[in-house]
Amino acid sequence: MIVDAHVHIGKSTRLQIDVDGEHLVRVADEMGFDKICCTDLTALFYDMHEGNKLLFREMKQFPDRIIGYASLHSTRFGAEALDELDRCANDYGMRGLKIYSTPQMSIAEPATIAILEKTVELGFPILAHATPHECEYLMAAVPECKLMMAHAAAQPFAHGDWNRAIMAAKRFPNLYLETASSTIDTGFLETCVRELGAEKIIFGTDIPLLDPYFQLSKIRDTCIEPDQLQKILGGNVLRLLRPV
Amino acid sequence: MVVDVNAFIGKWPYWPIPSSSEAAVSKFSQWGIDQACICSTRSLFVSWEDGNCESETLSRQHQAELVPFACLGTLETSHRAAGRKHDLRTYRERGFRGIRLYPQHHSYHLLFESFVDEICEQAQVLHLPVLLSLRAIMNWGVPSLDLCDMLAIVERHPRVPWILSGVNYLQEIRSVQLLMRRYPSVNLETSCVMGYEAIQKVVNECGHEQILFGSAAPLQHGRANLEKILHARVSDLAREAILSGNAQRLLGLGNE
Repeated sequence: MIVDAHVHIGKSTRLQIDVDGEHLVRVADEMGFDKICCTDLTALFYDMHEGNKLLFREMKQFPDRIIGYASLHSTRFGAEALDELDRCANDYGMRGLKIYSTPQMSIAEPATIAILEKTVELGFPILAHATPHECEYLMAAVPECKLMMAHAAAQPFAHGDWNRAIMAAKRFPNLYLETASSTIDTGFLETCVRELGAEKIIFGTDIPLLDPYFQLSKIRDTCIEPDQLQKILGGNVLRLLRPV
Repeated sequence: MVVDVNAFIGKWPYWPIPSSSEAAVSKFSQWGIDQACICSTRSLFVSWEDGNCESETLSRQHQAELVPFACLGTLETSHRAAGRKHDLRTYRERGFRGIRLYPQHHSYHLLFESFVDEICEQAQVLHLPVLLSLRAIMNWGVPSLDLCDMLAIVERHPRVPWILSGVNYLQEIRSVQLLMRRYPSVNLETSCVMGYEAIQKVVNECGHEQILFGSAAPLQHGRANLEKILHARVSDLAREAILSGNAQRLLGLGNE
């Protein structure tokens, strides 16, 4: 089974995206992805309530294909954010959380800690667009939360430094690396598996921002063993997600 | 047939890659790249001329698989070569099929060094392609070139056979597309074009004749880079042109 752990749905003018569930499921069919873990762009960048509700509608249309991540447009909304997470888990059936950090407004701050504690209570893994340093701060604060470092630091705010991501993931048992990125450096996956084990690597594509074909190839067309590939391509994220 | 207009040989100082010459050639083949235009990473990090000698030697040993590009840098600031001038005819006579410039690795400004203009003027006369990279690979940790500088040098020398490389972000692709529509001599190389349906969009906007497959292998995963072209929603004619036809025409491959 292949599960894409990093997919976006909805609209973003900045990212020049406007896609619905039907489009994404069509892409998943072409790629051979059984399930896609989606976050709504409105929820992530503008209004968590509106966006998460939009995603819930898409989940109802494709219950066997779309797994919902709750998203928060900010981690500074206190009880309102915690209530939204309860709603996303219990009313919408979402199974994880997506949060986004920028150097200008980093999530590595005390306000995020209550959010992390809530995810532990709900059994949500967190897909965090965050740097290795930020992930280390968060993991040190709440070591029992399950944190997936989106892009494994192969993103501009982390200077593409996936070797640094590996060092961070080595320090914390619950810190995982997610693979979506424009970066296709030779040896990336082999190094991750050698240093961390296949259990800590999670496949994602970031569609519809990035082309999914090269991203599947950079995982599959390597010298990784088939049983390790199964974990990376789906087994690991299914193990982490909140149970249905 | 797959021709890669942007490959490398040599060592990579940041993390381990297949760095022996034989390992690189073997990787190209394993990834489905039949012919690779190479430049030595020694040219980026140690000495551009020493790197050119490596590319020249290896290409002689693998004539069917490798096509050498010469990487040129400053002469003015060199202790040994001060006062000399670049003469592109000598590189062509040595078998180099194109030129590469990496100002971000060689500490010069593209717009304010006279040797750059001299190279461009000669390249235009000799119809020698000039590959200019915004970034050697799509990793934010490696040095990059300012997009405006790239656009400005092309506007200054629009009839040079340009290969614009390392282009990734939407605004970068849109800017290069503008140049491609304006100047038939401007070509886009695909090694860092990673966006969703990006190849298809460029073909729809500009046609397929100015797009060249490149991988930046073995620094980047060559097969992954090829997959996005093989699965792009473009005609078979366009795919063949991107993967080999355009490069063969531009570089005169097969006309020896």
